[in-house]
Amino acid sequence: MSEQPKIAEELKKMEYEPLLPVEKKLIGWSIGLGVVLLGILVWISYTFFPSGQ
Amino acid sequence: MEEEKQGISEDWLSVWIGLLIFVLSLGVFVGADLLGFGITTGVWTDLAKALKPVSKGFEGLGGLGSLIATYVFLLVVMTIGAAALKANIGKFVVGFTAVFWISYICWIIGSYANIAVNTPGDMKKFGIGWSLKLTAESGFIVALLAGLIVGNFFQGFAESIKEAVRPELYIKTAIVILGGFLGVIAAEKLGLATAVMFRGLCAIVEAYLVYWALVYFAARKYFKFSREWAAPLASGISICGVSAAIATGGAIRARPVVPIMVSSLVVIFAVVELLILPFLAETFLWKEPMVAGAWMGLAVKTDGAAVASGAITESLVRAKALVMEGANYKEGWMMGAAATVKVFIDIFIGVWAFVLAIIWCSVIECKPGERVRPGQIWERFPKFVLGYVATFVAILYLGLNFPDLLGKTKAAMGEGNVFRGIFFTMTFFTIGVVSNFKKLWEEGIGKLAAVYILCLFGFIIWIGLIISWIFFHGVKPPLITG
Repeated sequence: MSEQPKIAEELKKMEYEPLLPVEKKLIGWSIGLGVVLLGILVWISYTFFPSGQ
Repeated sequence: MEEEKQGISEDWLSVWIGLLIFVLSLGVFVGADLLGFGITTGVWTDLAKALKPVSKGFEGLGGLGSLIATYVFLLVVMTIGAAALKANIGKFVVGFTAVFWISYICWIIGSYANIAVNTPGDMKKFGIGWSLKLTAESGFIVALLAGLIVGNFFQGFAESIKEAVRPELYIKTAIVILGGFLGVIAAEKLGLATAVMFRGLCAIVEAYLVYWALVYFAARKYFKFSREWAAPLASGISICGVSAAIATGGAIRARPVVPIMVSSLVVIFAVVELLILPFLAETFLWKEPMVAGAWMGLAVKTDGAAVASGAITESLVRAKALVMEGANYKEGWMMGAAATVKVFIDIFIGVWAFVLAIIWCSVIECKPGERVRPGQIWERFPKFVLGYVATFVAILYLGLNFPDLLGKTKAAMGEGNVFRGIFFTMTFFTIGVVSNFKKLWEEGIGKLAAVYILCLFGFIIWIGLIISWIFFHGVKPPLITG
């Protein structure tokens, strides 16, 4: 019966992979889009979906 | 989301069981009180008076009779479900019996007056001089603690009941039933409900875009995780725990062991969040109840822990608002905000995994033979959401178009809600049972836990709070008047 791999062993096997420019771009775009959309969505929320009781 | 190899998935099963209970509860409309035997527990000092059936038509059963009838009903339904899952029926019956009774006893303990009562008036009514003021929902916490004790100190027993230790099945079934309950409150205040739903959607768009990118960056840059580890970890910590980690692992073609290990960590920390965040919300957010509810949905990982923490938060915040300001908020809105946010998060997991799969295959690393199909969005779509939407829309439609039936609709959903509460309690207990801290410690959790703690407590929780605040501050649940 094979034993289940342990987290520590699996992490030790992990090889270093430098952060690629395309990953940096992905991160930057994701956060940038998030910030831009935040403004738009807040405006839509408060304009078209007011919570007035 | 754990998929069985042969039978139907727990995801689909939760839809059918939830819909069955929902449909049976509708018997009230045709004069057939089919679920009226369901057990309820009031706050008590005298146990003999604590238990009673939800419907007056079943008063003859008495408290114990009602409890036994509820157990038998659920045992039959769940055992049929276990057969559909192709589980071991004998082991399931034994396991479910233990899960049900331990969970419900915990619920009864949590309703003890010295634990639950939270207003001076109720303390006088019960003739007690002190109370922990944890509200009747403290039964959830008691169940969780019982589960943690079983999972960490009685592993032989935990192993013997594991066939019925299925927190995902229980919470998803509860959420399907919850849809109808939330449909009633939405029908009463449609404008507010629409605003809450839209703002919930906005909040999760923000959460996906900001959370994921930040956690991925931290894991790659500062903790030197490989892409194979960083992506499922980012989804697990930032989005929706187990299901997101598994979907992301599949999308980037990580080895199956990676999302499984991340998932085990997610469950453990969800328990930690569950024990801390509702009390933080009670202390600091009692004046902003909807912010508190949405925060639970955004910050607490796994469906079970998130919706459950929404329930505890609601109970604590309502009680505090009543004592401090005399504001008696209607039940269901804060938990509804948590559930709405969580359901939207679940809906988008498949879409997010699809987007990641495209990005990975086109610009990061495409493994040989890999092909991205739009059908994967449906494959990863959480099916229990269909049940939730069906019950919500059906009751909303009834409430809006047949206002004369609102009384019966409330009575019907009230009966269904009794079973929702029991599924919630079983979720708490079973979450505790599967949270084996000792095992993870022995496996060398260190580095993985470090990135989890840093990201979760460093910014996930606080960004979640900011997003919830931006979209929900000033939004108040309706008040109970009269």
